[in-house]
Amino acid sequence: MGSSSYSVLPARGLRAVVVLAVAAGLATTAPAARADSAPSSPASSTAPAAKPYMGWSSWSMQSSKYPGLNPDGDYSYLTEANVLKQADAMAAKLKKYGYEYVNIDAGWWRDRAWTPEFDGYARQKADPKRFPRGMGAVADDLHAKGLKAGIYLPVGLEKEAYDDGKTPIWNAEGCTTADIVYDDLRTTNGWDSAYKIDFSDPCAQKYVDSQARMFADWGYDFLKLDGVGPGSFKSGDNYDNVADVAAWQKAIAATGRPIHLELSWSLNIGHAADWKKHSQGWRIDTDVECYCNTLVSWENSVDDRWVDLPAWTRHAGPGGWNDLDALDVGNGEMDGLTKAERQSAATLWAIAKSPLYTGDDLTRLDSYGLSLLTNREVIAVNQGDTPPAHLVTASDPQQVWAAKNPDGTYTVALFNLADRPAAVTADFSALGFTGRAAVRDLWNHESLGTHRDGITQALPAHGSRLFTLTPKGAADVSRTGYEAESGGNTLAGSASVADCSACSGGKKVGNLYTGGRLTFNDVVVPAAGTYQVRISYVSGDARPASVSANGNGAVRHTFAATGDWGTVSTATVPVQLKAGANTVTVDSGSDYAPDIDRIDVIRSS
Amino acid sequence: MTSSTPEPARRTLLTLAATAALAGLPAFTASAAPARPADEPAGRTDARHLLWWRAPGDAHSLIEQGLPVGTGRLGALASNDPGRELLLITDATMWTGGLNDTLDADGQFPYGRDDFGSLTLLARLTVDLPDHDLGSVTGYRRTLDLDRGVVGCTYVQGGATYRREVFASRPDDVIVVHFTQSGGGRYTGTVTLEGTHGEDPAPSFGASFPGGLRYGAAVTAYGSGGRVRVRGDRIDVAGCREFTVVVGGGTNYAPDAAAGYRDPSLDPLELARTKVRDAAAHPAEVLRRTHVADHQALYRRFDLDLGTSTARARGLDTWERVNLRHTGGEPDPELEAAYVHFGRYLMIAGSRGSLPMGLQGLWLDGNDPDWMGDYHTDINLQMNYWMADRTGLSPCFDALTDYCLAQLPAWTDLTHRLFGDPRNRYRNSSGKTAGWTVAISTNPHGGNGWWWHPAGNAWLCNTLFEHYEYTLSRPHLERIHPLLRGAVDFWEARLVTADAPDGTGEVLIADSDWSPEHGPLDAKGITYAQELVWTLFGNYARAAEELGRDHEHAARIARLREKLYLPGVSPKTGWLKEWMSPENLGETTHRHLSPLVGLFPGDRIRPDGSTPKEIVEGATALLTARGTESFGWANAWRALCWARLKNAEKAYQLVVNNLRPSTGGANGTAFNLFDIYQTGPGRGIFQIDANLGTPAAVSEMVLYSRPGHLELLPALPAAWSSAGSVSGLPARGGFTVDLAWRDGEPTSVRIRSTGGRRTTVVHGGTSRTVALKPGESVTLNGFAR
Repeated sequence: MGSSSYSVLPARGLRAVVVLAVAAGLATTAPAARADSAPSSPASSTAPAAKPYMGWSSWSMQSSKYPGLNPDGDYSYLTEANVLKQADAMAAKLKKYGYEYVNIDAGWWRDRAWTPEFDGYARQKADPKRFPRGMGAVADDLHAKGLKAGIYLPVGLEKEAYDDGKTPIWNAEGCTTADIVYDDLRTTNGWDSAYKIDFSDPCAQKYVDSQARMFADWGYDFLKLDGVGPGSFKSGDNYDNVADVAAWQKAIAATGRPIHLELSWSLNIGHAADWKKHSQGWRIDTDVECYCNTLVSWENSVDDRWVDLPAWTRHAGPGGWNDLDALDVGNGEMDGLTKAERQSAATLWAIAKSPLYTGDDLTRLDSYGLSLLTNREVIAVNQGDTPPAHLVTASDPQQVWAAKNPDGTYTVALFNLADRPAAVTADFSALGFTGRAAVRDLWNHESLGTHRDGITQALPAHGSRLFTLTPKGAADVSRTGYEAESGGNTLAGSASVADCSACSGGKKVGNLYTGGRLTFNDVVVPAAGTYQVRISYVSGDARPASVSANGNGAVRHTFAATGDWGTVSTATVPVQLKAGANTVTVDSGSDYAPDIDRIDVIRSS
Repeated sequence: MTSSTPEPARRTLLTLAATAALAGLPAFTASAAPARPADEPAGRTDARHLLWWRAPGDAHSLIEQGLPVGTGRLGALASNDPGRELLLITDATMWTGGLNDTLDADGQFPYGRDDFGSLTLLARLTVDLPDHDLGSVTGYRRTLDLDRGVVGCTYVQGGATYRREVFASRPDDVIVVHFTQSGGGRYTGTVTLEGTHGEDPAPSFGASFPGGLRYGAAVTAYGSGGRVRVRGDRIDVAGCREFTVVVGGGTNYAPDAAAGYRDPSLDPLELARTKVRDAAAHPAEVLRRTHVADHQALYRRFDLDLGTSTARARGLDTWERVNLRHTGGEPDPELEAAYVHFGRYLMIAGSRGSLPMGLQGLWLDGNDPDWMGDYHTDINLQMNYWMADRTGLSPCFDALTDYCLAQLPAWTDLTHRLFGDPRNRYRNSSGKTAGWTVAISTNPHGGNGWWWHPAGNAWLCNTLFEHYEYTLSRPHLERIHPLLRGAVDFWEARLVTADAPDGTGEVLIADSDWSPEHGPLDAKGITYAQELVWTLFGNYARAAEELGRDHEHAARIARLREKLYLPGVSPKTGWLKEWMSPENLGETTHRHLSPLVGLFPGDRIRPDGSTPKEIVEGATALLTARGTESFGWANAWRALCWARLKNAEKAYQLVVNNLRPSTGGANGTAFNLFDIYQTGPGRGIFQIDANLGTPAAVSEMVLYSRPGHLELLPALPAAWSSAGSVSGLPARGGFTVDLAWRDGEPTSVRIRSTGGRRTTVVHGGTSRTVALKPGESVTLNGFAR
């Protein structure tokens, strides 16, 4: 869960009755840790999150208004019985493909009215209706099925746990909840549902340690920390939870149990280094769920992933991955997606090397959904020793994403994000090689033979293809670069040269807005043809620009955000050039265009 | 005749009704068993005759992405989606309105979907093949074979190659979808026919509109290697190696005013069932051969080759070529020729044996097309038919003639009853009304829509007369004579006298009128009317001479013609005047070229020395001011005018402007090559007139003709000059021309008489006179350098 849920919960209204909740907490005298707890699975022999995790999460079904899922009120799907039912289905259908985590999301410590339970140490405690045997028993059962157990917390000290500052912190002599928050009770997280923790007081780390200890003792293998900022639609000091995340990392390490730490939601890309340092994954976007009559919908907000992912691609790798949220493609009717959309989502998740966890009802996977979730060739793209794919083209309705793999092959995905069918072409020179390549269609388990120079396929609306390309004696391409700041170029309107340390030559051309225009005046090619032109640019947000050659037929492209105004990315676009000298113009038109570092004209060598 | 008494008009009505009865049988009618050819000629794969795409059409965007087929009456747009073939089907006579003879308070006609009416869809045909989802197939390729008149697609799945063909057969009067494969593939799915007006889904259905028009449609399917059977409201196909779907339908429309435009004895549902059953008695290959032979009998009458395109263009599909043509800025002569042949394909598919094509021809994507998909008589209908003779499709012109004749009794009646209404601002100030005219919009039930359009009668007649100039068909001239006579009568009653602007005495001018859709609403002597009536009167005199009748009346009309005011050049703007005023009373770049009807399609303004220089200059200045950026049909008209002025590059620019890829509803060419007319930000609609008008412009760039005078390559742009050819190109005066050129000069010229006896043939500084007997031909060598 993340962006939408907490704020619309009954809990919001219940903040007024926080006293009641605290009273309930005090009445509970549960042991701080289970006496019989023991590590239930050996520490992983590999590094944490060497590859994206695979599993299931409860939130999609909890958050949906799909008929029958939450008959006892919003989010009521979350119960031990339902979790174990899903776990059984996962063990039976998906485990052999690598799916192992069963992640319990928000609400495990809250009743149907969303009233929380705490254990006397300000730690969340299982709601007895939802989890009558407690959380440890569930983890044990999951382990018994050969699966891993995941649990959830919002970041910060939940307001209901504060109890006027008097609640003691477990295993922290003299520490109470008053010691771990700021005197002014400033709030934090994406819903402002918690007090911000002040880590300048040693009691604060003790509190996080006590929660981690509890989860470890229960036998959990995974924690989703939600509402984390900067991110979760929040910014500013009060919502900077980097210290919380660091504390969690430290606390988990102290338990001696490998617990995967995943952060949510819409994490700020400017802090990517912090997230990589302290966690194993981070949600790059808002909730994928639509909070509607299906689990998700294309427009709200599956399709956002194509817009927001490109800037994050370079941050993913072993140890920490870009999390696209639940992959809800297992049942067309429940998912609210077309077949084409389901395949496209599965394709993007796979090539992005996003964690592959579904939020579907695993007891009701349809045959197409099962085929999407269990395609071994596609899973291998996600789980193999290959880099995440990056957006090769501009962020246009027809897109190509690709990764060059260590074995010399290329993973190539075609997407048609338009609302109507369209042909999409992956030009080999844009990928970095020329000549012929054998094409393997991963979704259809079919070899499509050898293609020369490129491959084109018809895609349905919101459709995709996923290929492995094996170049056949192919040559590398050559690129001829032209710097934006070159004196031979023509700058029109507001366009001007600016410093840019990340840019080649240390400069770029910026201020391309409302008529601002950059023209490269002497782009020379030997023969007329369609050339792939790689545009290196800087753009903190996604921006459009028109690209034309020799004043003909400008084509408007959208350039994906690079994440900030100091990072250079590339987009390769086709341009029609004539033999000899050409002009190539990047025009802002009536909009704000990205800053341009350089262009490279790609040629078969 | 200037009388406004009812009696002569009634007599006229009776005479005309008798004529109309000869106009044609009901559109949807039993037909004789077609000739079945034993084989099919080899297809042509030249890019100019074969369009192709790499993507199917979206079910929700078929007007831009569907591929058209048509029998000349029954048309459809096909999606060619592997998993779901969708056909949106209509019939030219599927019209909701009626006579619409109660004027609004302003003396003009109502223009709604119930009263005036609208063209509307007949049915949706869906063939669902769930296992063939587009996402699961590879190598998808979709074609529109203009030469064979067949739409199709191929794709590969699981080692099998699947092939689908869609065609609309005029001989069998049905639309056929044929599914085949090689490599062990199977088809399993469902075929569903649905009405679009609330009918229950069923393999056949019949219903009627409130106005009484009955309609019906039926589908059947048959296959091999599996099972095809009707299950409730649909047809199930299970495990077939190949199967065929046949769909037919129509209405009980009859082109007969006396019968209220209905054939009460015709049951469209029964007839549709009969037609599909009869067709389904033949294998799809036989149906296709029958269709291809019928199609090619027209299609292959003419060919046009504008040169060879670049290798990179040749590697692309049609839509990519449209885009490359725009972004690369380089000519694509094969694509440009293909656009002409696509227009010809639409003419063959859309205009045979039934009603003529209105604003959208037979191709709709919903029940409520903009502007009703009607007949606009102030440019669009005429433009649709300029290309018929100019691209070798004279037989397709007949639908327009049949239509006008069938409407004439109603048009005459409505004019007589309603034109003189005191609320009508365009009524004759003399108080007298005679003959017939129309409103800006007309429907097939005798009805007018929107505002009166007095000069519409003249333009329709001039268009019909031009067809005579091409064909020299005396039967055609005899058929249209009542139309000419009625229009002449109308103008005899309508012209008023005025002092000539240049003080040279008294002239005759048209009464208060609106230069189409532009400027003041009450202008006397608008150039549009003066030019059209001047041409009408001339045509009438020639008809009288050819037919040997009405000498006295023709002489009187000739005298009136001499007194007609003809516009000069405004000293203020330097433009040929649109109104009897030196002022520019409208929008400089207005889409209509109404004041230039004397340049095209008229012949009064000729840049050959026979027209005063200042008139040519004024027309040129006005055309220049109108610009080169407008809607598709407006660009086509501009291209025609520039061709007449022998400005090849301007004409070419306008042709190319219409080939701009349309995205987001912008003016230009859609994915399926339909012309898109932008109606507002982000919204465009299909208008067929540019698809048909642009080929006429290309034809005029290659050959200018008027009776007795042919001019070769009058406006050949550099893009097409290196080498090209045209064959079977009709010329006014009764000839056809075969012509090849190289480096802009004719290399071979052959003139054949189709009735013409004498003409000069001109190119550059060379002029030759050719005398032939009908059927004879001559090769001219004198033009080659």
